[in-house]
Amino acid sequence: MSEILADPLPLDGDAPEAARVFDEVLLSVDNITLTFGGVTALSNIGFDIRKGEIRAIIGPNGAGKTSMLNVINGFYHPQQGKITFKGEERRRMRPHNAAKQGIARTFQNVALFKGMTTLDNVMTGRLLKMKTNMFWQAIYWGPNQREEIKHREFCEHIIDFLEIQAIRKTPVGRLPYGMQKRVELARALAMEPELLLLDEPMAGMNIEEKEDMSRFILDVNDQFGTTIALIEHDMSVVMDLSDRVVVLDYGRKLADGTPAAVSRDQKVIDAYLGVGH
Amino acid sequence: MLYREAGQFKSSYASDQAIFPIRQDKIGIALILVVALLVVPFVASNYVLNSILVPFLVFSTAAIGLNIVTGYCGQVSLGTGGFMACGAFFAFKLTTAFPDIHIILIFLLAGFGTALVGIVFGLPSLRIKGFYLAIATLAAQFFLIWMFTQNPWWTNYNPAGVITAPPRALFGDFYITGVRATPVGKYLFLVCFVTILALVAKNLVRSALGRAWMAIRDMDIAAEIMGIRPMMAKLSAFAVSSFFIGISGALWAFIYTASVEALAFEVTRSFQVLFMIIIGGLGSILGSFLGAAFIVLLPILLNSAPAMVGIRMSTELLTHLEFMIFGALIVFFLIVEPQGLARLWQIGKEKLRRWPFPY
Ligand SMILES: Nc1ncnc2c1ncn2[C@@H]1O[C@H](COP(=O)(O)OP(=O)(O)O)[C@@H](O)[C@H]1O
Ligand SMILES: [Mg+2]
Repeated sequence: MSEILADPLPLDGDAPEAARVFDEVLLSVDNITLTFGGVTALSNIGFDIRKGEIRAIIGPNGAGKTSMLNVINGFYHPQQGKITFKGEERRRMRPHNAAKQGIARTFQNVALFKGMTTLDNVMTGRLLKMKTNMFWQAIYWGPNQREEIKHREFCEHIIDFLEIQAIRKTPVGRLPYGMQKRVELARALAMEPELLLLDEPMAGMNIEEKEDMSRFILDVNDQFGTTIALIEHDMSVVMDLSDRVVVLDYGRKLADGTPAAVSRDQKVIDAYLGVGH
Repeated sequence: MLYREAGQFKSSYASDQAIFPIRQDKIGIALILVVALLVVPFVASNYVLNSILVPFLVFSTAAIGLNIVTGYCGQVSLGTGGFMACGAFFAFKLTTAFPDIHIILIFLLAGFGTALVGIVFGLPSLRIKGFYLAIATLAAQFFLIWMFTQNPWWTNYNPAGVITAPPRALFGDFYITGVRATPVGKYLFLVCFVTILALVAKNLVRSALGRAWMAIRDMDIAAEIMGIRPMMAKLSAFAVSSFFIGISGALWAFIYTASVEALAFEVTRSFQVLFMIIIGGLGSILGSFLGAAFIVLLPILLNSAPAMVGIRMSTELLTHLEFMIFGALIVFFLIVEPQGLARLWQIGKEKLRRWPFPY
């Protein structure tokens, strides 16, 4: 397939072709229906995400992909259906609860903290893990400084990993778009999430930037074992990166399976060519 | 070439995260403190101490407080005057009821009390933002001043509605409030106390709490997915902010003016402090000092400058001139440089770092 995939998998033979097998379900959504007034953004959607896989969510604009991620991380509350994460049915929750449970995400439109430096943005990913209280923070020296240094070290690993050392101290508002996307990924990774939701991480990028980002996504999955749900429009990227694909169209689920199977599916082909509507 | 970090390599995260990572800054701050503590007390007249330096230090504390909630956490507040009044009256009630408690502890307790009030009046920020929040805090401002003027209990039934600071010593005979306090004594105490407060503020904003505040300010939706609870972040910002503002109110009443009525903390005071952080720099501790210095000094300069060059102006004209200059500056900073004087200072430093090479 592509040189992107061949690189990080030093397996013998046709490594990329050998389908990876995942058994343990990390997250499953069942019968999710979400409406806004008269608009049905999602109707009766059900699929699962297995531990360790890269799961693509594709579909035309307005299909409900972003809404699905918003349901998963607690921004939207579906009118119907249930979500099971790590084997437990989830009660209605806010995004910060989802964060605590190990769900991180990036946004379709970059949502960085514009006034803060790259490093500070990434450090916010460690907030849930920082425990020193306000008193020690006011003193700074002592336990707070030790904790700051410990988490700084962790963040520096991620900064190295994503090759953004040079912009460490730059306020992110001044960075070019492609770099901002990368910082946003770094910030999400700093949370050490179990499930990482990426909403069009390559939108608006040129070929080179896309290749870099693809490599990072594969490396994250490979080296940190992070489960990834990925929304992406570029079909060649989806084919290369994902283990399984779920296809949405007008809020309905159209298909679900391996990239090869999905791309052969007549309904999917029709939806993408605009036939049948 | 003068201002360079070249050759100052950081070999540990601790030194990179130091409060002043660049050596020239360290030296600069040390120098300022040495001059403030060892030179100024001997050369400054009582007028300079009482009418410029003491109010500058008190206002700086208020500006730091407002900057925490507005500059760092992005929650507009027009309640500063009301919170200053809380600090002043809480300190007065406490020290008259318990004369034996040390005055520093009184100031801190007044700050903590104001923090609680700040939390209560910060509650609307959980539902509303921007303009509407500003109006809600304005309501807090009016309510608090009304409470302190209407209820004579707060002034220990003083017929004029005035509180007068009783004499309190820092130690032994070193009085910082009351008639036996000297201008130099008050000034020296304020330099030390405000420096420590500024240090505390700086430490908070460069730690986890500060990052949570700034995250809420910059993008509250994204902050929430990082696990930040908006309620905790906003209310802690209101609490810490009000702590500083409360202390500044107590310092105002006890050290700057020595006796004061609630009306001294009217809404104009709120705007005055807001102007300080806009001109000085939103989201900057240094900016809080610069803004306070600017607003304390401008009227004095305006009063003396025309006379110095031989122009005579009526006081009325001067007051109008002051308003016009403030207005123009506020508009300028809001539109052109929202990060205020602190940002101009930083740009200057960046230029200096490259100097004498333009690139
Ligand atoms: N907050 C909202 N309010 C109203 N309608 C919404 C909202 N969010 C999404 N929708 C609607 O839901 C549908 C799916 O949107 P979205 O999930 O953003 O699609 P996609 O990400 O696949 O392009 C669209 O018709 C959109 O208008
Ligand atoms: Mg979308």
